[in-house]
Amino acid sequence: GRSAAQKAVIRVIPLKVEPILLEGEFADVAEVTPAEGKLLQSHPLSLCNTSEDEHPESGFITIVKLEQPDRDPNPCLSLANKAKLAGERGARAILFDITDDESAADQLRKPRGLSQPVVLIRGHDAELLMGVVNKNREAHVKIEVKEPPAWPDYD
Amino acid sequence: NVSQGCQGGCATCSDYNGCLSCKPRLFFVLERIGMKQIGVCLSSCPSGYYGTRYPDINKCAKCKADCDTCFTRNFCTKCKSGFYLYSGKCLEKCPGGLEANNHTMECTSIVH
Repeated sequence: GRSAAQKAVIRVIPLKVEPILLEGEFADVAEVTPAEGKLLQSHPLSLCNTSEDEHPESGFITIVKLEQPDRDPNPCLSLANKAKLAGERGARAILFDITDDESAADQLRKPRGLSQPVVLIRGHDAELLMGVVNKNREAHVKIEVKEPPAWPDYD
Repeated sequence: NVSQGCQGGCATCSDYNGCLSCKPRLFFVLERIGMKQIGVCLSSCPSGYYGTRYPDINKCAKCKADCDTCFTRNFCTKCKSGFYLYSGKCLEKCPGGLEANNHTMECTSIVH
């Protein structure tokens, strides 16, 4: 069977507000590695080759809220290529909120060796993160690899 | 989180992403406001952009770097400072037989 996805700890540090600790999972499409940077939202349609919106300076961590698949029947790129494009545009990591599109997890399971980590977040954790985005409060994000619990000693 | 009523010219939208698609004839533009990036639908493209119509979406694309406003990527209507407009192109120097009009920032025929 498929090994459980590597968990990610996402530390969101909004300016002048208490940090928030969230959990996600690393997608196998990319390396499992820590990352940190300024949080920026990207519209799903901004990650298309034809899109010419202003690209922020590099060194950010982007959050993409995926919509239900039927709302974008002809996506311009696959999710893996959207993640790749985000990395090429300077993102240090890509967070996908897959609450409304669970199929994204399967689409991002095939290893592609992308160097910027791709982290999937859903449910309550995603709601908290999008709450920070919605308040448009500048925030720094640290993504860490969650260590598996140490096995108790039975000596 | 899917909005019941969409703002402006959206055909479909959501709370976090704003417009996802536009009503007919409107142009889809991505707008960054601080950390957020949302989709908006406009009747015409903002200055510095020109409209391109595709079967499933009308988009705004950037004019060339030396151009302030344009009809298409290759037909400028107003050049950036330091450039002269001639036949839809932005030139640093006017071609022979034409003179640079520093008032209109265009290349014009030499009047004898």
